[in-house]
Amino acid sequence: MGSQKRIAKELAELTSSPPEGIMVELADEANLFEWKVYMEGPEGSPYENGEFLVKLSLPTGYPFKPPTVSFATKIYHPNITNDEKGSMCLGMLRADEWKPSSKLSAVLEFARQLLAEPMPDDAVEGRIAEQYKNDKKRYEEIAREWTHKHATPA
Amino acid sequence: MTNPSNMNALSQDEMQRFQKLSNEFEPDVPGPLVSPKQSSHAIAMEYANADPTFATKTSALAITHPMTRIMKGDGNCGWRAVAFGYFETLFNLRDPMRVQRELDRIKSLNTLLDQVGQQEELYEIFVDATEDIFAQTLTAIHNGEQDETFLINAFNDEYNSSAVITHFRLMTSAWMRLNPHRYQAFLSPPLDQYCSQRIETVRTEIDEVGLQALVDGVIEGAGFGVEILYLDRSEGDSVTPHQLSPNCPNGATIRLLYRPGHYDILYQPDPPPVNMAPIVNFQYGMTSNYTPWDQGALSFDVNAHLMSIPNLMADSAFGGMGAPMSPLSSVSPAPQSPYRVSPPHDLYQTPMQSHAQVQPMPPVSAPTPVMPSAPPPMTTLPNRSEGPQIRLNPLVMKPNLSHSLPVTSPFKNSPYNQAHFQNQDFEPIHWEPHGR
Repeated sequence: MGSQKRIAKELAELTSSPPEGIMVELADEANLFEWKVYMEGPEGSPYENGEFLVKLSLPTGYPFKPPTVSFATKIYHPNITNDEKGSMCLGMLRADEWKPSSKLSAVLEFARQLLAEPMPDDAVEGRIAEQYKNDKKRYEEIAREWTHKHATPA
Repeated sequence: MTNPSNMNALSQDEMQRFQKLSNEFEPDVPGPLVSPKQSSHAIAMEYANADPTFATKTSALAITHPMTRIMKGDGNCGWRAVAFGYFETLFNLRDPMRVQRELDRIKSLNTLLDQVGQQEELYEIFVDATEDIFAQTLTAIHNGEQDETFLINAFNDEYNSSAVITHFRLMTSAWMRLNPHRYQAFLSPPLDQYCSQRIETVRTEIDEVGLQALVDGVIEGAGFGVEILYLDRSEGDSVTPHQLSPNCPNGATIRLLYRPGHYDILYQPDPPPVNMAPIVNFQYGMTSNYTPWDQGALSFDVNAHLMSIPNLMADSAFGGMGAPMSPLSSVSPAPQSPYRVSPPHDLYQTPMQSHAQVQPMPPVSAPTPVMPSAPPPMTTLPNRSEGPQIRLNPLVMKPNLSHSLPVTSPFKNSPYNQAHFQNQDFEPIHWEPHGR
């Protein structure tokens, strides 16, 4: 079916010419719909030097339904839920804003960009967003601490 | 509470849960994506107890457009109605060459997609789905399939349906981005943003601007017209028609019924047999040439009575019809004087000659005075060049309508029979929509 054809192409491109700081592989070679993404924390952000494992799940209705992006690695960020799910809330990933012509590499780049520049007004973690706006220094401290604790390669 | 240290944990969780529910909300709309054709009376029934305006308009609609096809209201109904209508119209022409031409044309629109920066590896699966439906259409024509069941099936497949609609959306978006001067003035957001948020998304319903662009950029090249019939509370006894494709007056027409927030497809009475299809399309086009649909029906009646006037028909006028008529003559057994020679069953052809123009009222022996109830139509008669619209009014060809439409029986007896104006069936419906 068309979905798989498209996913295979996108995966091939992401594997052969990956965007900066992003590495992609299938979680299970037999399943095109579950991806493991290794994302380096962007330079200059409190996530620098961290390596984050991100799960990208494609629904069976892809590309007519959006993928979901979640952080398996714990991360302190206003736009990523501070729980075991680590769901990332991206406008472009909402069902009614999703465009089937969007590219997964663009989604991942956008996700990484979000690490560099959080969007506190579109936050899922209100408390972190507030801190980001009012006490950025403290936010950066904690984020860096968490990065060191959870996202530093062994 | 997964995070007891957080004072707001509960409300945060709740908020997240609601946000998630909200994001994932999909209205549970029953029914297939595309329904089989069904009687428009169902629509009239829906509104029977509603606002009288709606009741009046929908009952009139059930006469002028006896069949309808319901689109699922999932946010794509307008797109789906046009895409389905496009393929159905194409299929109804039963012209393999034309299907091939359309396939080539649609594929050539890929260059538009490329020009606006869409990437082929992302859009090709949508084009594939569209091509597949073209292929199915060709196969159906070759196999002599009688109805459009294959299309209904294709469009009820979630993947196919989404893919074709996405393809149509992308073509529309590309067209708009390449012709911003035609649309920007009608949009409040910048056009690029509009396309990105309203056209290219998965389930944003089409609006007027998007629909116009879809017609301009994708449909019109097929030579098909698109007409919307607005069912709203506006004044009048009939739905308000709006022609979106003034440049295609001669093509087959896709008719959409618009009710606020929703589109369905409408059909005028059944077209005649396949081999006459081109003619009918011609006629449809004439009907929709800026003239409201009800006038199409109206002018038929007018002609019905004109036809009853002996000698009114001036054969010379037929020659004056010019080129557009040529396809007709090939099927018209007796174009010269159909009134006199045509047996009743030839009525399909006869209306054609009745180019409404009353011109010099010919030596009317007696009949005219007998038409007191003749409606006020003369002023609204189409001019001569629109004559053919009368000829092929498909109402004539719908046998089972004869009980409600007065046209058949009087004609059956004789075209000279003026008595039919006094037929009490005659009076009706036809004149109502205009409310004169």
